[in-house]
Amino acid sequence: MGEITLKPKVTFKVPIIAETITPDNFAGKPIEEIEKLEMWEGNRKTTLGDLFEAAGSSGEAPADTKIIIEGDVRKVRRIGYKMTDGQILIKGSVGMYLGEKMEGGKIIVEGDADSWVGAGMKGGQIEIKGNAGDYVGAPYRGDTKGMKKGTIIIHGNAGNEVGCWMRGGTIIVKGNAGLFPGIHMKKGTILVEGDCAGRCGAMMKGGKIAILGYVPSVLPSFTFEEIKKSFKVKGEKIKGPFYLFTGDLNENGAGKLYVSTEKNKHLQFYEKYLE
Amino acid sequence: MKTVRNVVCPFCGSLCDDIEVDIEDNRVVKVRKGCAISATKFTKYNEERIYKPRIDGREVSLEEAINEAVEILANAKYPALYGWSCTSTEAINIGIEIAELVGGVMDNTASVCHGPTILGEQDAGISTCTLGQVKNRAELIIYWGCNPAHAHPRHMARYSAASRGRFVKGRKERTVIVVDVRKTHTAKTADIFIQIKPNSDFELLTALRWAVKNGELEQEEIAGIPAEKIEELADMLISCRFGALFFGLGLTMSAGKARNIEAAVNLVRELNNYTKFVMVPMRGHFNVTGANEVMAWATGFPFAVDFSRGYPFYNPGDTTFVDVLTRGDCDAALIVASDPVSGFPAEAIRNLAKIPVITLDPHETLTTMISKVVIPTAVVGIEAEGSAYRMDAVPLRLKKLVEPPPGILSDEEVLKMILKKLKERVK
Amino acid sequence: MELLIKNGYVYDPINEINGEKMDIAVKDGKIVESVSSDAKVIDATNMLVMPGGVDIHSHIAGSKVNSGRILRPEDHYKDVKPRTAITRAEVGHTVPSTYTIGYRYARLGYTTVIEAASPPLKTRHTHEELNDIPLIDKSCYLVLDNNWIVLDYLSQGEIDKCAAFIGWIFKALKGYAIKIVNPGGVELWGWGKNVESLDDQVPPFDITPREIIRGLCKINKMLNLPHTIHLHTNNLGKPGNYRTTIETMDTVSDLADGKPNIHITHVQFCGYGGDSWITLRSGAPEIAKYVNNHNHVTIDLGQVVFGDATTMTGDGPFQFILQNLTGNKWKNADVEAEGSAGIVPYKYKRKNFVNAVQWTIGLELALLIKDPWRVFLTTDHPNAGTFMKYPRVITWLMSKVAREKVLNKINKRAKKRSTLPSIDREYTFYEIAIITRAATAKALNLANKGHLGVGADADIAIYNINPMEIDPSKEYKKVRRALKRAAYTIKGGEIIVKDGEIVKSFIGETFWVKPAIPEDLEKDMLREVSEKFKEYYTVSLENYIIGENELASSKPIAVKTNL
Ligand code: SF4
Repeated sequence: MGEITLKPKVTFKVPIIAETITPDNFAGKPIEEIEKLEMWEGNRKTTLGDLFEAAGSSGEAPADTKIIIEGDVRKVRRIGYKMTDGQILIKGSVGMYLGEKMEGGKIIVEGDADSWVGAGMKGGQIEIKGNAGDYVGAPYRGDTKGMKKGTIIIHGNAGNEVGCWMRGGTIIVKGNAGLFPGIHMKKGTILVEGDCAGRCGAMMKGGKIAILGYVPSVLPSFTFEEIKKSFKVKGEKIKGPFYLFTGDLNENGAGKLYVSTEKNKHLQFYEKYLE
Repeated sequence: MKTVRNVVCPFCGSLCDDIEVDIEDNRVVKVRKGCAISATKFTKYNEERIYKPRIDGREVSLEEAINEAVEILANAKYPALYGWSCTSTEAINIGIEIAELVGGVMDNTASVCHGPTILGEQDAGISTCTLGQVKNRAELIIYWGCNPAHAHPRHMARYSAASRGRFVKGRKERTVIVVDVRKTHTAKTADIFIQIKPNSDFELLTALRWAVKNGELEQEEIAGIPAEKIEELADMLISCRFGALFFGLGLTMSAGKARNIEAAVNLVRELNNYTKFVMVPMRGHFNVTGANEVMAWATGFPFAVDFSRGYPFYNPGDTTFVDVLTRGDCDAALIVASDPVSGFPAEAIRNLAKIPVITLDPHETLTTMISKVVIPTAVVGIEAEGSAYRMDAVPLRLKKLVEPPPGILSDEEVLKMILKKLKERVK
Repeated sequence: MELLIKNGYVYDPINEINGEKMDIAVKDGKIVESVSSDAKVIDATNMLVMPGGVDIHSHIAGSKVNSGRILRPEDHYKDVKPRTAITRAEVGHTVPSTYTIGYRYARLGYTTVIEAASPPLKTRHTHEELNDIPLIDKSCYLVLDNNWIVLDYLSQGEIDKCAAFIGWIFKALKGYAIKIVNPGGVELWGWGKNVESLDDQVPPFDITPREIIRGLCKINKMLNLPHTIHLHTNNLGKPGNYRTTIETMDTVSDLADGKPNIHITHVQFCGYGGDSWITLRSGAPEIAKYVNNHNHVTIDLGQVVFGDATTMTGDGPFQFILQNLTGNKWKNADVEAEGSAGIVPYKYKRKNFVNAVQWTIGLELALLIKDPWRVFLTTDHPNAGTFMKYPRVITWLMSKVAREKVLNKINKRAKKRSTLPSIDREYTFYEIAIITRAATAKALNLANKGHLGVGADADIAIYNINPMEIDPSKEYKKVRRALKRAAYTIKGGEIIVKDGEIVKSFIGETFWVKPAIPEDLEKDMLREVSEKFKEYYTVSLENYIIGENELASSKPIAVKTNL
């Protein structure tokens, strides 16, 4: 496997658009050519070599190319754009649109990631060891093509609207999630292991959401079905018990919302509908 | 003395166009028909004026100030151009070309008021109308998270609750409902006041929609309102002949923001299966709607446009000025007809203070005080003419009533000079 | 400046020039007999030369179009182009920015386009956008059929005053023709309702759609307006509506005097047979038959092109039905005392039965109506597709093979039900020149547009294709490619496009009609109207009026009326 290490030459001030940082673009290229890849520093067109120190050598194909990014890349956006294979390891925190429209391969971030992680993702895996911003897996404004396939794992907390307009794939948030996880969701699975700020599954038409922690309330357009013992994510069983709701009925939706009974005693009143 | 009639008032999004202004010796001496806001502003527009351009606090000629502004903008790698809600559409239009030319972020104040309204619309649409439609037809009016009695003082009399229209003759023929977290002045005049728990608008709107669809509410209380009350309300909404929902920052800025608007849009859409229902945002600054309109026709997007790569890119949350500034991304700013320093989050202001700022404004503001370049301009609607769009997107023409102070040009003229120099400079 | 376009094959139907090899001389923006030897020469050898295109119906400016832009950011993301030294940044797609509209029309060789529907109260907005559309000349129709003042006058039988009001409104708002959109139905949409037939009552006005149409048709003649009434029918978008369309045409047949007196627009949308979406079939044969037998009617197609579209009309109730059918996002915007607008994003799919039938209807209309001078090419941009697809539509008309290729890919049931496969007609370049420029200019009565005779505006399109050698029936792809990117577009004597790229940019003219109204009548009318204004509107009459200085390049056309 070929490895290329990138280090910012300076501390970035304005946004850097680095959609060329992908194993697909690096594979089979000598360093000198990688350094010529186009990048944008604010409104100036520039090259990778002007902004980053590059070292190492890439693999023949994307699959055997690993890109390691060291240093502060919080201003750097669109890393891993449309990548199909290979690996990117970011040793710190990273800017917006990480892995946008990604199709395959793997991205690992040791720090935090800004908003729109895996925007409109179509395959592959993203793992964030720290926190993620808002709109994980979401499309741009007005668009309805959210994440379609692949897996996003966030070890810390995620912001609002995790899995907005999601059409498939899996998102796991090990920490807490903000408002509206699974909003407009059609298919796929979202697991929040911590607490959630609420409004889960708003306007969802299908798919599954499970919240293992506390939820302030369930939307009035969801109907309580039953108590379920467990919930499955990627074949793995997560133990409950859970209150199971169906919604969003306002959208004639058939999404499933699982909410831990234990952490949500204030939802006990729903049990009166059990008989 | 002369009297100018049918003056369009440039002091809030209602753009009342029936104001009468007496003018003597190039000064406004009396204002009739306007509300308290308008009366004060029309007569006191000369207070706190800036009369000379400055660079770093030093008075300079207009030419020097413009040259400096051009240098700053041309050298910036990620300049931001912001404000625009209190100037003419023509001026904004030139601002857009400047942004395009220098590869900057062009944003207007909608991003911190009704930006969520636009985002909600972009996901769900909106059923809306011009205000006369409400005046002529609305039997039921809801004010949700807005307080026109304070913010748009003549709105209720001219356009909504108490207006006299062709089919509905006045306040007595209308039912007025106020939804708010506290009993505002507007709420006191309502037939029904619904005091909602803070930050639970989304829940109430969702419940209402479900009740309109005849669904069963499984919770006894939602947003602090008993389920039966919500069902009753839903029945009321269905059974009016024409209903209108006005909404303000109480809805766009409470938890959920754009999603609250989307929920309201969806409720109104549902209601149209039973009756006629519309919603209209209560836009604050007099031409914030115009800023959205001209940006949309020139760039495809109504606010928050990033031209750094030569073409328009739009993604509020990323390309909105307040976010750009909070992240510390921009390295220069042009502020026109707005005072972000007085309302922005602390982090954003700290970052603004670190970069060269050019400000165009008739008046001294907190923003002019931290600006490197200040260029005083004429007061639009009093000293300069131009187009403006009312909150319901009705376009009107602002009048020039008096001459500006000597040497002071309009935003439009100053921006044209900047654009011209930039074109020579950039290439 | 002088230009000499040498040796092109010229198609100029108004002057009955059919592919003649000849030179065209241009001086000071006009076509002239001859030019001096200093003239810049354009070698058009083996190229096709036509007058600049004239689009009679397209949604290019104003509140409705802009609402579409705002509603649909997802429409724009992928269709962008950076600023150049000559052009502003471009942003599309189905609802492009003003600049983009101008450049893209110019690239197609179009030089005149009319905005299809401007509600009077928002016409200032329309003009602000027209001011920002570069290169082409333009104008707008004013929607007047659901206007309360018009309805009041018509229902009271005050036709003179109504005519005076309409004449005044053209002067005040700078519009070009009377647009009618679902007469009566849109007023009822104010209450969430609609009309279903030409004889439904429209309370409280004591008037029917038929009476509104007839009234406005008479007024059009009284005012001697250059274009006919321009009408979007009742029941648009409903199965079985071809009957309403024929009835609408017929309701003014007795008012005609040998010339067209009604234009029915985007007839594809009102040419449906059957009585439900399941039994839907084309009503084009019936409509074509009527048009072939009655010369008081002109129509345009509203041809469907598969792919993305944005539906936007002044027909609020129709858009409401469409949002319910599609579940897509929906914008509705009613305008006090005047009308409405609705917008719903839409995608036409080949395999969808209804969409496939819609596609056949437009083409059947074009191929079954015999007189090309009375059927015009439009896609009702962006309702049935964008104007960028005109070259594609043209090849469908010129080539049976091109049609068959699509027919083989569309929904089978739709293909089986259509008469399209049995139609052999193929348009000639001459006929294409008629339906895209000559006939539209004539229908608009724009004497200096749509032809290349001496005195005409020097608006010229040159396409890199040899009409003498090519067989459009077989080589339709070549035709399409050539039409998509004009070799040259000349506007007002200036070369604005070369090899499909914009080489010069400026703002074209906005023309509008200025009817002469007897002073006393106008005074009387205005006294009444200003009273009504206070009750009906939320703006004053004074602020409703648009100053000529608000137009970037104003071109009034004085009209002598019969009042
Ligand atoms: S309500 Fe607004 S527009 Fe009307 S007079 Fe008062 S400040 Fe001016």
